[in-house]
Amino acid sequence: MARRHAEAEEETEINITPMLDIVFIMLIFFIVTTSFVKETGIDPTRPEAETASLRARSNILIGVTEQGDIWYNKDQIEITAVRQRVEEATAENPESSAVIIADEGAPTGVLIDIMDQIRLGGVIDIAVAATPEGT
Amino acid sequence: MRRKKSKSEDEAEINITPMLDVVFILLIFFIVTTSFVKESGVDLSRPSNEPPKDVEVSEVVAIKIDATGTITIKDRVTDVRAIRANVESALALKPDTSVVVAAHRDADAGILVRVVDQARMAGATKVSLAALAN
Repeated sequence: MARRHAEAEEETEINITPMLDIVFIMLIFFIVTTSFVKETGIDPTRPEAETASLRARSNILIGVTEQGDIWYNKDQIEITAVRQRVEEATAENPESSAVIIADEGAPTGVLIDIMDQIRLGGVIDIAVAATPEGT
Repeated sequence: MRRKKSKSEDEAEINITPMLDVVFILLIFFIVTTSFVKESGVDLSRPSNEPPKDVEVSEVVAIKIDATGTITIKDRVTDVRAIRANVESALALKPDTSVVVAAHRDADAGILVRVVDQARMAGATKVSLAALAN
């Protein structure tokens, strides 16, 4: 009886190898997909556009308020600082692409200045945020 | 000897519990920090200030937006809804036509995005942005 009991105890260990496999796959998935997007810190009213397409893996988000203030990573920054921030972001991730989240009423001049600064910072893939029509 | 060997085999299993702990903590960290923020947007290209090297002039449709948001195509004041038809007819004449949106610095970004959107809906693949001096 005692012998049998000992045998049973040895067999009650759960085989965790399949769970480990799944956990590792999940871990690798999340490591790969994490891109550490820096939020702008503002939520402007985005203009509507019918041709707006989802832009995956855009890690540089720059917000522009109605008054023309520029926000990046929850900080208000000057136009002269945009280039440096973009360069830092490209150093971290060379395949960066930028999205300018401009308010509907933001002046176009600021938008163009930011686009120039982003280009100077080495990112050519630039888009202006827009919500798909009807949402 | 035989007995000893079987005992050591039993003990040779590596204890993976600490590794499991670490893996779980990493997993939870990455699950929490992952943000699937997907911005939707309209692609816009900004031509560089350098003069173009190839002097291959294709047809260009220039759309002007002034400070008050009035849209002008070829010196004709038009509405946002009329842009699509204008660009479509230009594309029908010359398929490699590119669209340039020249916006005044004080014009609203919303109008700009709407104009670019309309031009893209008409089928223009190359829409670029220019600043209007005055």
